[in-house]
Amino acid sequence: MNSSASLITIFIGMAIINNMILTQFLGLCPFFGVSKKLSNAISMGIAVTFVMLLAATATSVIYNYILVPYEIEFMDIIIYILVIAALVQIVEITIRRTNIILYNALGIYLPLITTNCAVLGIALINATNNYSIAQSMVSALGAGVGFTLVLIIMSGIRERLELGEAPKSLRGLPVAFVTAALLALAFMGFSGLL
Amino acid sequence: MLWPILILTGIGLVCGILILVVNRVLPKEPATLKKAEEVNENLPGMNCGACGYPGCFSYAQALSKDKKVFYSNTCTTVLQDEKMLSGIEKVLDLKVDKSSLNMKAVVSCSGNCENIGTYTGVATCKTASKILRGFKRCPYSCLGLGDCIETCPQNAIHLDIDTNIAAIDPEKCNGCGLCVKECPRNVIKLIPANSKIVFLCNYQDLRDIPGREKCDSGCIKCRKCVKACTNEAITWNKDKSIPEFDLEKCNNCRACIEACPQKILVELDNINKKSSK
Repeated sequence: MNSSASLITIFIGMAIINNMILTQFLGLCPFFGVSKKLSNAISMGIAVTFVMLLAATATSVIYNYILVPYEIEFMDIIIYILVIAALVQIVEITIRRTNIILYNALGIYLPLITTNCAVLGIALINATNNYSIAQSMVSALGAGVGFTLVLIIMSGIRERLELGEAPKSLRGLPVAFVTAALLALAFMGFSGLL
Repeated sequence: MLWPILILTGIGLVCGILILVVNRVLPKEPATLKKAEEVNENLPGMNCGACGYPGCFSYAQALSKDKKVFYSNTCTTVLQDEKMLSGIEKVLDLKVDKSSLNMKAVVSCSGNCENIGTYTGVATCKTASKILRGFKRCPYSCLGLGDCIETCPQNAIHLDIDTNIAAIDPEKCNGCGLCVKECPRNVIKLIPANSKIVFLCNYQDLRDIPGREKCDSGCIKCRKCVKACTNEAITWNKDKSIPEFDLEKCNNCRACIEACPQKILVELDNINKKSSK
């Protein structure tokens, strides 16, 4: 019994309205860890989008063809962890053997992403919403794009903040937290769009 | 009860077999990559970019392809560290003559320059140097806003409170030269690490000497140091109008240091203890 939401609705919903970071508070670790430089933020965003898309496709295939028919949906978390870890491992080996430059660019981020809660989160969200495989892929793509968008916005702001003269006690991470809070408030404005 | 266990085991097995298959099917890594990883273990891993490559690993790749890269793009941090250097020499089958490659960065200004006005703009040397050739009387002096302090991967640079200019700790400096590129006024110079005497003036207008209206402690081109030298180690460079030091001839007699009326010749070891006037 699949959900009947249209693909565009799912995409916009995941990218902006139910944004992974600012509305659902998933993947906060890279949000603060990798948002210091714009270039790093972009590569992290692309890596996360890629892994999310792969993971969501694989997990939704497993969900729709294995978990639902055998009525073992309660096993989803442990099976998803297994599948996502194996997938990222395969992707890492493949990239390493075929394109060493890409591997060096993504290399640090790929293992980090394996246990990223945003990646597991999107798989679980797809499961709870009963999305079909196509819907899962679009929702993962939307979530990835939303993640990248917020990471880029945040790193742009933080690059500017470095130049500004914040009070001494607020410099660095504290002012980033304040910024994140304001950003989250701004993204609340999207709620009710659809 | 049995199905969930079987399915979980099955998925685990399938994943494992998939990884195995991918590992077997794909072509093996090229031999240079393995070597590059060995080289990379002997690199500092700071990714400072001073060697001219985007990161330590790309430097290692370039080294593993052609070991002569080590001479054209020397990693200065490796030069300082016996363990890393011997590791690289072993992996790459090199023999490195340290003294010819090792450098130290030096701020060639003695500071104490007076301001011609109050500067309240963005606190970086790059911005300040664009306005009226900087806010100091001498247009070649160190502005002391610390662009170099930010860029130093070794944290070897600090602001000297007596003289209000950047000071580099020769012990911490690994001669990577990032600060040399960063300084908008080209005040920081790289000198061989075995130099004994450092010349602390960056004045570049050849037509005149800085004189009292530009700087109280600039080089006045008196050439006393050349005459004072007991071993003819100092020669006067007419093109640049500065003294030049021959490291091999210098016998460390300190005659030039005492002769200099402006006290802008100092020993490299004492560079941060220069007297503030």
